[in-house]
This record gives sequence, C-alpha cells and structure tokens, in this order.
Amino acid sequence: MPIHEKSLIRPENLKTHEHLVIDGVDVSGHWSTFIETRVVSDYNEALEEEIAALPGGEHIHRCWQCGSCTNSCTVNEINADFNPRYWIYLIRVGMESELLRDKDIIWQCVSCNKCTYACPRDVFPEGVMKATAHWLERKGHTPKSPSMHFDEVFTEQIIKTGKIEESRTVRRFFKRTKQGLAQPWMIEMVKRLIKHLPVGMLTRMGLATLVAPKTSDWSRASAAMQEYIEEQHEKQEEALTLAQLVEVAQEDAAA
Amino acid sequence: MTKPILIVGGGPAGLAAAHSLGTVGRPSILIEKEDALGGAPILSGYAKLVPTGEWAKDAIGGMVDRVTGDSNVKVRTGTTVTSFDGTPGNFNVELSNGEKIDAEAAILCSGFTHFDSVNKPEWGFGTYEDVVTTTQVEQMISSGNGVRCPSDGREPKRVAMLLCVGSRDRQIGREWCSKICCTVSSNLAMEIREELPDCHVYIYYMDIRTYGLYETKYYWRSQEEFKVKYIKARIAEVTSDGEKLIVKGEDTLVKRPITIPFDMVVHAIGMDPNVDNPEIASTFGIDLETHGFVGSENKYGAMAATSRPGVFVAGAATGPETIDDSIAQGHAAAMAVLSGMQEPVDKSA
Repeated sequence: MPIHEKSLIRPENLKTHEHLVIDGVDVSGHWSTFIETRVVSDYNEALEEEIAALPGGEHIHRCWQCGSCTNSCTVNEINADFNPRYWIYLIRVGMESELLRDKDIIWQCVSCNKCTYACPRDVFPEGVMKATAHWLERKGHTPKSPSMHFDEVFTEQIIKTGKIEESRTVRRFFKRTKQGLAQPWMIEMVKRLIKHLPVGMLTRMGLATLVAPKTSDWSRASAAMQEYIEEQHEKQEEALTLAQLVEVAQEDAAA
Repeated sequence: MTKPILIVGGGPAGLAAAHSLGTVGRPSILIEKEDALGGAPILSGYAKLVPTGEWAKDAIGGMVDRVTGDSNVKVRTGTTVTSFDGTPGNFNVELSNGEKIDAEAAILCSGFTHFDSVNKPEWGFGTYEDVVTTTQVEQMISSGNGVRCPSDGREPKRVAMLLCVGSRDRQIGREWCSKICCTVSSNLAMEIREELPDCHVYIYYMDIRTYGLYETKYYWRSQEEFKVKYIKARIAEVTSDGEKLIVKGEDTLVKRPITIPFDMVVHAIGMDPNVDNPEIASTFGIDLETHGFVGSENKYGAMAATSRPGVFVAGAATGPETIDDSIAQGHAAAMAVLSGMQEPVDKSA
C-alpha cells in the first residue's frame, strides 16, 4: 500500500491488558488498549556507509527523494509496498529497524533498470536495491536468495575452469537450492535436445559434461580473479564490520 | 562645485555605490552608523562567502580599501543622518556629528538585521549554550578556532541545522523567504564536514531553495562530495536530556515522529528589516513595504527608486538579498542617480 495510505497505527504496537485495574476501575480488555510510540529516537549512521561499500550502492548519497525511481518501478506497479525511494531514504538517514520490516520484499527487484534511466541524480537505484539485498543476506537478515546461489555457482565454475558448462551449473544450482533435477520441464527439454540436436553437437555436450574441460593456460587468470574477489570481499566484510564480529565471536569462544 | 551624493550605509551595496560614483568622478559622502565599514559580512565576521569562497575579510575588505582610498568619497563612521529635507538636486542633510551637508541625491544602503533567534524560544536558543546561529558558526570558522560546542569546547559529533528560523513563519510575523539561508547553510555544512570529517551534519528543511547555479555548487555538492544529510522536517522543539540536545519533529518522508540526540544545533537565521527602518523612513520621508523593508517602486522603468524622488535604495534594505546582488544593486543605484541628474540637461539641450 502506498506510504501515504498506510495506517499510522501498526497492529504490533497495539497493547491490551486482559486484566487491569487502575485506581479501582476495571479496565480489562479493550478498555485498556493503548498504542506504543512510533518515535524514531536515533539514526544508525553506519548504515549508509555499509550499503555504499557494496557494489551498486556507491551513489546512494546523491538521492534527493524526488521519487522518480518508485514512479518508474516495474515491481511497484504490482506491489505498492515495493518502494525504492523510501528504502533509499531509510538507509540514508539510518532507520535500520524500519528497513528490516521490508527485508522480505527488497530482493524482488527485477533489475529492469527503468529507475536507472529515470533518476535525475544518477543514484543508480537498481544497484542500490542489489546492494541492499546483498547487505541483508550478509548481515544474516535474509537467507541467500536463489539468484545469489546461481551467481555463486556460476562464478565458482568460471574461476575453476574458465568455461561455462551449462548442465553442471544447472545441476549445482538445483542442488544448492534443494530442488530436484527431475522436473517436468527439464525432462521435456532433455528429450527435445536429444531429438533435435545434431549428433556431433550432442556428443560434444555429453563429453563436456563428463570431463569438464578447462580453458588452456587458465591457472594464472584464475588466480588473479580469485585474488581480486577475495580482496573485494575482505574490503566489504570490513566495511560491514562483519570481520570484527567474527573476531569478537572467536575471542568469546576462546574465553 | 558639484554637490556630493549621500550614501547611507557602508555595507556591500553602499561600498559598490560609492565606488561607482567615484570612478566617474562624482563626489559622495558615505555615512555608516557603526565604527567600521563593510556591513554585515565584516561586522558579523562572516567566513567564506557564497559563491566565490573568498574570505569575507578579503573580498569585502578589498571593497572597503578601494572606497577609503578614493578621494571622491568622504567617509563618516559612527554617524547617522538626523534630518533630511529639500528637493532632488538640492537636499539639506544634518548628521549626528553636527555636520551639515548639501546633497544632490541620496542612496539608502541601510541593509538588514539578523533575525534574533530568541524570538523562537521553542528551538532552544538562549536556553541551551550549544544552540547557535549560522552567524555564530561563521564566526567560529572565520576566527580560526573551528566549530566547537560553546558549552565545553568539544568537537561536535553530530550537528543539526534548522532552516527557516525567522523566515516563512506567520507565528512571528515573518512571511518572507530570506533567500540566502539554504545556500549559506549548505556552505557551512560543507565547512563543518571538511574541518571535522567524523561529524555528521543533518539539515532539517521545508524546501531547499539553493536557487539558480547554487544548486550544483551547494546543494548537490554538499550531498555528493560532503555527504551532508537533508531531512524533510520542520522541527517542533529543541530540548535537552542533560547530556545531548534533543531535536524533536516529524520526518515527513517516512511519516514518523523523531527525537534525535545532537551535540550542536544551528539556526539558519533569516534577514529581518533593519530595526532602524521606521526611523529611517520618517527621517527620509519614504514608504516602507508591507514587511517593513524599504519600498522600491517601479522595478522596470527606474531601478532603485523609492517613494521619494531623489532618494534611491539598494541592497538588503529592499528585502532579503545576497551579497553579490547587493553589490550589483549598489552599482545600479549609482547609475540611476547619474542618469537622473543627467535628465534635465538632456531636456534643455
């Protein structure tokens, strides 16, 4: 529901005492209903910097809240709660608890990039949505999304072999997302491949599946990529103060 | 000998008018009620000016030197005009030091008065030491002492700037936009972030009016390079929990009430009509406009005219004005005086 139509009273803020007597007057049940305060009493100043440290989030500080992103948003058209303008604001001023209320829909961005082209300040809202979804995952607020699993499987394979072998990617992706391989559409696709593809191509595909060929002389490129990714990852962990958290946990465990 | 032109007020507009007249060889007499020339930028100790970023003492100080070094300009500081009679080309002026002058025309460059934040007691000025005005922050910077909390001299970790203090507020009879405060505030916010990179600066606004080319240089730059945060909320009150100032309001973009702790709160104070305007109006026999600024008639045909022929006006005396526009108006008023005096000659020719 659009923000201006949202009720200011949240059901979880309504408090009722089943049995309550005040000054001898029985105010049990709905007579004692009161509403907890909605006041925001502090900003989390680290939040914007954390999102900005993740790929795509770099330009979030440019936002001036015109709402072009939300107005042009594909997902917003279907789900009015999907509001990039609002989330960017929450991140910028550091209203973390408010942002977490929407954690289960933020990942729904379809990356159509209409917002990217509508934004007058080059905030790159699509990137911010991606960064925010990653932030939620890495902070442990949401489980890894299927697309994150896919990205990981894809990247791992590239680094290892320098090639994409589709059937392996699909198999690993299905395994990680705990989906069975024997899905009707998959069976149908394999049947048609066998029926329509030339024999030579089928043989090469089958061989590739079995032996997982590598790009020749790939090890140096692979090492460089690996190093870069680790470097970036470390930087992000540091920005997200996740590295420190791990250290503290280790120290606690040791003590 | 040609009679001098009377210029009232030695701020940017008055200095510009005196300089203009001097360059064409017209004598003028510059009356300043304070003991020094330079107007608000000098007397109130402004720091770096919009839009060039030059220090006020260099930029406006240079204008002062240019005028004091001009033999066509006589300067009277610590002096006011006590009576003003006569007709265009033939005014009789008496000064507070007893001096009597015959003047050809007069240009009022009597400026403005900074809004006194005590008139908005709910925002804590005068109650809490760490609630200050933009003028005080200018002074902290221009003095070289840096931005510190007045209560104990510590570096603030979080600063709130409240816009429209003394502007756009019917409760205190000030309906006008003071025009400069948005730009000045984003300029100061950048100064604070530059001096104290660990200090977060929040600007609470109703609208941001960093108009024209200031958009890029101040509003955009303060966000993009200096990460100043702009929050759409008009603050209800500033209180204290004993340690921090508590800024209370409603964040209208998320529809949530806020009570946020701050180390320092800065009021972006507006421009009031000069407190002496009623007296100036009666001395010079001119009309004030509805807000109390000097009325300026016929904006298109005759630049800088007041309700009285032969008396001109320039700068923030006419309403909230920037320094560079005040200077332009000072030059324009000088031109208006010169062309006005030229007119009878043209007609006779």
